[in-house]
Amino acid sequence: MNVLKVSRWTIAAFVLPCLLLYVGLVFAPIIVSFYNATLNWNGIGVAKHVGLGNFHRMFTNDSVFWPSVRRTFMLAGFSMLVQLPIALFVAILISRYVRKANFLVSSYFMPVILSVAVIGQLWKTIYNPASQGGMINQILIKLGLDSWTHAWLSEPKVAIYAIIFIGLWQYLGYHILIQFTGIQNIPADIYEAAKIDGAEGLTADRYITLPMIVPIFKISVVLSFIGSLQSFDLIMVTTAGGPAHATDVLASHMYNISILSQKYGYGSAIACFLVVVCLVATVIINFLFNRLDRRYN
Amino acid sequence: MNSTGKKVVGTAMVGFLAVGMAACGSKNDNDNAAPSSSAASTASASASAPASSDSGSKEKVTITFQNIYPDPTDPKYNMLHKIVKQYETDHPNVHIELDSLNTDQQKQKLKTQAASNEVPDITIVNPSAQMKPYVDAGLFAPLNEMIEQNGLKDTFQSGILDYYTFDGNVYALPDGNNIALLYYNKALFKQAGIDAPPTTFEDLVADVKKLKEKGIQPMAIGEKDTWTGSFLFMNVLLRTNGGPGFLQDIVDGKKTFEDPAFTGAVDAFEQLVQAGAFQEGATSFDYNAGENLFKTGKAAMYFMGSWATGGIEVSDANKDGNVGVFKFPTVGGKGDPNQFMLAPGSAFAVSKNSKHLPETLDFLNYFMLNYPKEAFAVKGAVGVAQKVDGDFKAAGYSDMAMEVLAMFKDVQGGDISFDNTMNPATSQAHLSSIQNLFVAKKDAAAVAKEHQQAYEDNKE
Amino acid sequence: MSQSASIAVREPAVQPRRRGFSLKKTIVFGFFGILLVTQLYPLLWLLIYSLKTNEEILSGSFFALPASVQWSNYSNALAGGRYWHYLLNSVIVTSATMVCVILLASLAAFAITRFRWKYGQIVMLIFLMGMMIPLQSTLLPLMLIFKHMHILNTRWAMILPYIAFQIPIAVFIMSGFLRTIPHEIEESAIMDGANVIRIFRSIILPVSVPPIMTVCILTFINVWNEYILAATFISKEALKTLPFGVYSFVSQYSVNYGAIGAFLVLGALPVILVYFLLAEKITKGMVAGAVKG
Repeated sequence: MNVLKVSRWTIAAFVLPCLLLYVGLVFAPIIVSFYNATLNWNGIGVAKHVGLGNFHRMFTNDSVFWPSVRRTFMLAGFSMLVQLPIALFVAILISRYVRKANFLVSSYFMPVILSVAVIGQLWKTIYNPASQGGMINQILIKLGLDSWTHAWLSEPKVAIYAIIFIGLWQYLGYHILIQFTGIQNIPADIYEAAKIDGAEGLTADRYITLPMIVPIFKISVVLSFIGSLQSFDLIMVTTAGGPAHATDVLASHMYNISILSQKYGYGSAIACFLVVVCLVATVIINFLFNRLDRRYN
Repeated sequence: MNSTGKKVVGTAMVGFLAVGMAACGSKNDNDNAAPSSSAASTASASASAPASSDSGSKEKVTITFQNIYPDPTDPKYNMLHKIVKQYETDHPNVHIELDSLNTDQQKQKLKTQAASNEVPDITIVNPSAQMKPYVDAGLFAPLNEMIEQNGLKDTFQSGILDYYTFDGNVYALPDGNNIALLYYNKALFKQAGIDAPPTTFEDLVADVKKLKEKGIQPMAIGEKDTWTGSFLFMNVLLRTNGGPGFLQDIVDGKKTFEDPAFTGAVDAFEQLVQAGAFQEGATSFDYNAGENLFKTGKAAMYFMGSWATGGIEVSDANKDGNVGVFKFPTVGGKGDPNQFMLAPGSAFAVSKNSKHLPETLDFLNYFMLNYPKEAFAVKGAVGVAQKVDGDFKAAGYSDMAMEVLAMFKDVQGGDISFDNTMNPATSQAHLSSIQNLFVAKKDAAAVAKEHQQAYEDNKE
Repeated sequence: MSQSASIAVREPAVQPRRRGFSLKKTIVFGFFGILLVTQLYPLLWLLIYSLKTNEEILSGSFFALPASVQWSNYSNALAGGRYWHYLLNSVIVTSATMVCVILLASLAAFAITRFRWKYGQIVMLIFLMGMMIPLQSTLLPLMLIFKHMHILNTRWAMILPYIAFQIPIAVFIMSGFLRTIPHEIEESAIMDGANVIRIFRSIILPVSVPPIMTVCILTFINVWNEYILAATFISKEALKTLPFGVYSFVSQYSVNYGAIGAFLVLGALPVILVYFLLAEKITKGMVAGAVKG
């Protein structure tokens, strides 16, 4: 139970500046988007009300939409189920084996700071066909595995995985950093006490690190989910959603529809879908972590 | 709001404002939408102010000039800055604020600005179908009277302004006028035992196979930017249709995409792809990466608009005049090589709501009058939309550039690109459908159906 | 990334807990080393990239060095002094955003997690709702708002939305942390007669260094490279930020990749410097937080 009893004015002074700015510039535009989603509008000329027509079309008659949704969730899934556990594992290892971890953790973080434009170019030199100097394919050929070579970014079935892998690599250090700071924040005396009880190494991690890191891990989960839903730059730099929409995700589909196809109302409908997905996801994530919290405490 | 000491209070106030404004904003954006079509017809009245330059000590005027020449290492950038500086010297009261953006960003920005009626004084648009929504919304000032001044109109090549004219009003002035052609690497052709560039599509496919056998990459393309493949495909269609106007016939309801001209074009195009004409992984090569293959001598042929001439002429591939050009061949004996894919360039338009309309018109008039001369000086006059005085040969233009210029003289009509003819949504469906041909073999009838479906779904 | 294993790996310059050889430790440090190479190689690659010609860059080989070092890329990037004023603008916009986000978000998070009032949970929910909204999807409404506020083409048109879009995640992180601080702290402070502002300033803020650092880093990476919103709302050359410089080398039919590389190096340099300087502080702050918590 919160203990500070304060006047209404104090609450207002603490909360309102933040809330108003946020409501005015994030929330209100989203409401406008919901309105725009009911229009047939190219963004410039005359708008026509179509009710829920855009949503109907989106759910039933858009061959790109559902595959984009699926790929967006694939991105989120890989990030949460592969990247985060690895990041946690590395963070635990670092905290156990390295005393001055600054340099290591900071270095792992570097790819996040670099512009996506650079990351995209770099990975193209890795993924290109062997004839264009692509590194992976050249290595495969040297190993005699010619049949394993692919045009990684232009084969419809492979390309999305190639892009997902870039994302996993790029943001690994980001999550290592977040989780490492979380582990650093666990008071050392807890481990000391556990040691006396005979819990060390893996056992200590199982019974101390994991439960204590839950709140920080939640931040990682939320950030990875946000990142996956908003992933756009990387797709644009590597394949621009091609070939023939094979690597489109929700964000790139939204861009294609509202900017390139100039269906602003329809694009807003996709944006609204994105917002609703985010909302549901936030609720689910919070619910799961609250249960997890309760189980441990 | 600028007191840094009271940041919290300041920000809170901005927050309050924002909430209020959001409400106004959404209301206003409806108002914008409704009366806009009628505004177009009355637009000409406001532009009638004389645009003569009786510069004296007048009030300070700032003209925002949104453009797509941000690169200081690009000759066009220097050209632009030179003309602007000269104008500012002549008109001390006028300041030209150059908002230079990369092309994609400029398109997006203009769209957002147009939706909130904030179009900059001068901006850049693409011809025909692509600029039509802006014209329909009454955002641009007609330039009919302005181009009559100082004889500007007569500097343009005949017919080029048609692509920017709606209901008899000219709304934009182009910076370029290009045609599509094939560049080829003479040394690589010789290596594969090919004596002369192909004149029929069948020869072209045969040459591709010959090059392929010798381990030479036959053609380069940057198909990540989907328009590149479409541009080539449309040239095939221009031939199989026996002449220009296929898309116009569709719009007029005389033909459908299921027409044999279209399926024939798809079949021919797929033949080229299946023969291995294009590099592996073409769909992840952007425009520059694709062109670079040709420029570095790694590909034997390159289909592109004549704007690429300047870059190719100084590339490795063109050492000792090694690059030649040829016209797109006939397909199945159909079509006329002197009909080209035409690429009227991006063009300068003036905002109807400009606060300084007379000054803006005056500046643009000056700018366009000086454009060909300055372009000629920086060797960028191949594919300019205006008539250029000057001896190209004497000015040091390369043999290849001269060949391209000669080709311009042969032009007997043609088509403009798909996205300049059809609405944006149909165009996107087309672009993606053609891109798909690079990675999957598809039945021509299915491709035609895809197109027809997209066209009908998005018809207004 | 197993391909990088072929590169010789040396132990990182860090102190393990116990000296002496152990197989397990060797494997672990080998693993750290491999990861280090894969995560740091891009920096080296960018550096090499920035010294190549366009043709070399587009030829797309992974290891190749430039045939001759192209310093001209750097002179192009620095030409006209644009770099310096873009850098200055980026610093102003980013730091203003960071300061405001931290201040506003920590105040709100404090009120939500420590004050006794009815609507705390609702307010929190409202913040959570906006956490995942992509900035691009609000461009048009924002344009209308700023038009009516008459702040288009001013720094406010960048700073205000940057702050607003960082607020939800910042509140989320801050309040997540503040919840873990036991209530006894302010109970004893009230006994000592401290008022709310003093509790916030001298008790809560000092122990909140770790989440503040996290928010700082998040805000920084989201704002420093932001281009779409800036490009839409800013037309004045005098107010443009670093990403404008990067994209300025992209023309309609040509891209000057070398100059882009050079500009990116110049743009990343201050970031990397500041980051490694801050890294020290982050860990220290964390230890302090851990002791007090």
